[in-house]
Amino acid sequence: MSITEEQWIAEAKNGDKDAFAKLVEKYQKPVYSVCYRMLGTPTAAEDAAQETFIRAYQALDRYDPTRSFATWLLSIASNYSIDQLRKMKVTILSMDNEKHAWLAPPANEPSPEKAALEKEKQAQIQSLLADLPEIDRAAVILQYWHNSSYEEIAETLNLSSSAVKSRLFRARRLMAEKWQQMQLVSVPQVNSTAKRIAHETSTI
Amino acid sequence: MKHQQFETWILLDTELNQEQQRNLQVHLNQCAQCNSLYRATQQIAHLFRTSPVPEPAPDFSYRWIARMDRVENRKNRLILGATLGGISLATILVLSSVGIQLRSTLVYFPQMMLEMVTLITKWIIFLNQLWDIFTPLFRVSIKLVSPVWLYSVGLSLSGITAAWMVAFFRSRTLQKELLP
Ligand SMILES: [Zn+2]
Repeated sequence: MSITEEQWIAEAKNGDKDAFAKLVEKYQKPVYSVCYRMLGTPTAAEDAAQETFIRAYQALDRYDPTRSFATWLLSIASNYSIDQLRKMKVTILSMDNEKHAWLAPPANEPSPEKAALEKEKQAQIQSLLADLPEIDRAAVILQYWHNSSYEEIAETLNLSSSAVKSRLFRARRLMAEKWQQMQLVSVPQVNSTAKRIAHETSTI
Repeated sequence: MKHQQFETWILLDTELNQEQQRNLQVHLNQCAQCNSLYRATQQIAHLFRTSPVPEPAPDFSYRWIARMDRVENRKNRLILGATLGGISLATILVLSSVGIQLRSTLVYFPQMMLEMVTLITKWIIFLNQLWDIFTPLFRVSIKLVSPVWLYSVGLSLSGITAAWMVAFFRSRTLQKELLP
């Protein structure tokens, strides 16, 4: 952690909201993206990310400075999102595209084709994540998008390393199965059968 | 090597040494199931890593400050409300208990006075009776305890005993003289 960051934390502990706002500025993207992947809509993600920083600010006295501040924040974000999912029983992750305008705005206006492709990708990701149990989903998100190790995921989600491994194993198998189904559905029947035959012959 | 081992390697993204990698490659060429699983995992990883990172709307931190202000205001209002509520409740309790005490005192005052007079009278009678019982006993006990009285009783008792003994021995000698 940088010296300025330690200073911001110290000032925030004394009730300086503006100092904490600098930390919010710095960590908003990882926190927001965890919430977005977990909850699936920008509205829910915004709310969860804001709530994460409010809880972090209120619990700042309990923050252990020997741990990574980012990991601590992501831990609050994941656990809050898990609670929200359980509370609302949101199992289907919907994409509200109207409110989605600000999502990763590229430097140049994307071509309609590219935008459509991005949208398609987001939809695929959310449908892969949708079937996973809440904690497994959080583990997958932390592993893929935040490059967390098993130990870091274990610390973030309050699990043992071996529990994280077995959850990720199960989650990745589930996603692979779903992916295979999605491939079959998205490609026209004849084509896909041909592809499968071609694949099977090539692997024999 | 077992099929399950390769599945674990694929699904846990295990770091493999060169020999393990070769073994995996050989197995992937032989096993359609593992091959399909491997390709799916690779494609998913590619999809995930190339997707745009979701970003919050601009001015996220300003919205946070505004929200935090609302949270703190709500908290302050709650504290203020709870304090005022507590004070009001305490005042009501104190006033009502004082009121009840005052009211009962006013209503029952003559009766209380009457009961007090009755009680005091009863005590006086009771003490008087005690006095009547204990005064003669006391007087007698003083006489009983008096040493003069004790001496006189003792002396008269020993005088009687001595007179009785003299009479007894006299009568025995008289009997001996009269009866042969
Ligand atoms: Zn196999």
